[in-house]
Amino acid sequence: MKKILIYCDTKPEDLSLVGAVELMVDEEVSLTAIGYKEQCPSGNSVYDEILLIDDQKVMPYDTMNLCDLITENHKENKYDIILFPSTQLGRILAPRVAIALHVGLVADVTDLHLNHGIIEMIRPAYSGKLLAHIEALGTGPLMMSVRPGVFQPKAVRLKPTNIRELHGYQPKPSQIILLQTRLKPSTEDIRDSKILISGGGGVLEHFDHLEELATLLNAQVSASRRVVDSGLVSRRIQVGQSGKTVSPKLYIALGISGSVQHIEGLKNVETIIAVNTNKNAPICSLATLVVEGDAVDFIDKLSTKIKKNSLNFKEETQ
Amino acid sequence: MKIVCLIKFIPDVEDFKYDHERNVLIREKMNQILNPEDAVAVAFALNVKKYYPSTTIELVSMGPQSIIPKLEELLRLDLDQATLITDLAFVGSDTYATSRIIAHYLTKHKFDLILTGTHTLDGDTSHVPAQIAQWLGLPHLSNVNSIHMNSIDLGRLELSVDHDQEIMSFAVSTPAVLSLQKEAPYKLPYVRYEDLNKDVSERLKMLSLKDFDLKREDVGFEGSKTKVIKTFAQTLNRQTKIEVTTDEAGIQTVYDYLKDKGFLK
Repeated sequence: MKKILIYCDTKPEDLSLVGAVELMVDEEVSLTAIGYKEQCPSGNSVYDEILLIDDQKVMPYDTMNLCDLITENHKENKYDIILFPSTQLGRILAPRVAIALHVGLVADVTDLHLNHGIIEMIRPAYSGKLLAHIEALGTGPLMMSVRPGVFQPKAVRLKPTNIRELHGYQPKPSQIILLQTRLKPSTEDIRDSKILISGGGGVLEHFDHLEELATLLNAQVSASRRVVDSGLVSRRIQVGQSGKTVSPKLYIALGISGSVQHIEGLKNVETIIAVNTNKNAPICSLATLVVEGDAVDFIDKLSTKIKKNSLNFKEETQ
Repeated sequence: MKIVCLIKFIPDVEDFKYDHERNVLIREKMNQILNPEDAVAVAFALNVKKYYPSTTIELVSMGPQSIIPKLEELLRLDLDQATLITDLAFVGSDTYATSRIIAHYLTKHKFDLILTGTHTLDGDTSHVPAQIAQWLGLPHLSNVNSIHMNSIDLGRLELSVDHDQEIMSFAVSTPAVLSLQKEAPYKLPYVRYEDLNKDVSERLKMLSLKDFDLKREDVGFEGSKTKVIKTFAQTLNRQTKIEVTTDEAGIQTVYDYLKDKGFLK
């Protein structure tokens, strides 16, 4: 039996890391989740055990203490695999734990192969232009961070979970103090969106045109890394490996060529409409509908058509 | 105050060249650029120096000697010193070995702050800053988008972190490792015209394995805890699909499709 530790830092119902476990272990597993109450399930769950961190003692972001806590727990329980979600906190916590345990770490795993007993972790590199297959060396535990939303378990079997609060840990005085948290002006999250109007290098300085189409389709606007790197929009709306994994029903890719890294963020998209001057761009091979042509021209023409037809519709019904 | 900026020169990903027959990246032909978020970190350090002229700034980078001209270009921007950690023995180091080598150098030096970028455009693991913080026993935050200049001489830094939908403000005791993000409003200045050809070689220090208390087996491929088995440029499978252009018929097809699937009411 393999012992697995999963750090929970997303919604309690997010089981993508459990999905990752299915792909690497072909024997029985004992699943332990560790995290704060808000991120962990509260009753029966897929986990055998949930370890709740006391937020009065160790604050999220106090990665020094969080690392010590996880390390202590590992020394007691000797896990075979430790998984972190590639959230902002997961991405700074996992590397600390890897050093504390003197093990390797693979970031942002997007695929897993079990090859003659060796677990191959696959991740994009060079802005997604390359995929690297990586193997861990040494005696373990095996550690990786996994992009949330990439894997899904085949079957979800709930069982009685032993939930316990971690009271025993004595933290060191924290060197990081939270002073204030404030919401950003716009709190919409592209991950919750049913329709995404996404722009890339082909729309750059005309990015504002996307808003009109988004309003007409009751959609949100997102962007590829190219647009984010140019400083036009915030990383908050970036789709892809270093941005967010999205799962809308419809994704309209405007002037996005579709690097592997971008496509990693589109694993659960139902329908893609790709608009590109190059109909052989990688994104077009994933699209149900390919429009060859200038994306800005497309946005303007489609917006006009929708507005005109909705006006006609109103006139007809009046 | 002494600031160390950890910087990395990376192959320009826009200039990506791949040998599909041998399945390897053609690195030699790729242009090297300063990782954009590391540039933000250096720019912030220069801002601090403007406010507090007694500040000293050291650049620390690991990489091949071919980046020396790039480091010299940066040194012409009022930076005090650049340290290049370079040795063929270091080739193949994963993030564990890399962070170990850099942390080894830093443990021997006094500093108040380590600044770097949150992401790199090549590997994009974001591991090394957090790993160095762990080796050195220092606090670390990423996605830092502003550091309050007035807090710098208080012994603790006040800063803001871009956390998804929120902005979180923290006070961090120093020394600390801070990873800045691209959205932070700091930009590198240009080199002054009269400094364009200034000889800065005296301020550039090179270190190799013999300068470290590390063994050959602690670094490079041998000192790594992960191994790249293979890499490949991914090709995608084609699907059956509708293809149109942006003419009237094409726009009508898209419109009908959106209506038909219920995306348009």
